[in-house]
Amino acid sequence: MAATATPEIQPGVIQTTEDKSKSGLEPGYLVICWNDPVNFMDYVTHVFQVVFGWPRKKAEFHMLQVHEQGKSVLARESMEKAEHYVHQLQKYSLHATMERDE
Amino acid sequence: MKLIQATKSRLVFQLGQREELLLLRVLSLYPCVPPAHRQLSKGGRLPEPEANQRLLDEALAEHRADNKKQLQALLADQRRFTHMETGAQLSLSPAQVDWVLQVLNDVRVGSWVQLGSPEELAVGLNEKTSPHVRAMELAGYFQAQFLEALSGGT
Repeated sequence: MAATATPEIQPGVIQTTEDKSKSGLEPGYLVICWNDPVNFMDYVTHVFQVVFGWPRKKAEFHMLQVHEQGKSVLARESMEKAEHYVHQLQKYSLHATMERDE
Repeated sequence: MKLIQATKSRLVFQLGQREELLLLRVLSLYPCVPPAHRQLSKGGRLPEPEANQRLLDEALAEHRADNKKQLQALLADQRRFTHMETGAQLSLSPAQVDWVLQVLNDVRVGSWVQLGSPEELAVGLNEKTSPHVRAMELAGYFQAQFLEALSGGT
């Protein structure tokens, strides 16, 4: 007789999809950089290279997106990682935020 | 200000006497960005927004304090600048240039914020605005020189 698989749910713990989506562990948060008139384009490119380790071409692509479209989505990450990137970008005084991807 | 020597580990800049004074003056304005200026999210739809904003504020405050200490050490280090008849030579590692850029950008952005974050940077000069305009432009001047050096320009 084949064994019956039993669900691994601890007594007293109710798992819901709502809990899962709010866990902050899955990549559901966008890291966004917003345009402003004060940061130099070369500086923004430099910061993207340092913070994300991107090659210059990719960093320039996102910098131009910020400049021309007002913002660029730089990454889609778990909450913790998105928070980390926003902290790093703000240390360089860039206008960066994290938003829920919905 | 001119890049006169660049290796993987060191960048050496030549500054005139006035440039040296101005660089030290603009660096001494750090920090300029008001602590409450930075928001973690625009939409405000994050879980525990207040706690997460507090984390950001604390991280940035700690970072500012570290930068301030490093800056004081840099300003006090007589060996950082080699003085000559016509000016000085400033020797920095690429990591130090990156850090100086951060400090200068804080001064630039902070000055802009104190001017009311105008869309047009050509702000009219008066008693109230001129210190901030001067700081913003000076920080920008030195940033441009350092950025050019990092990108391989001479």
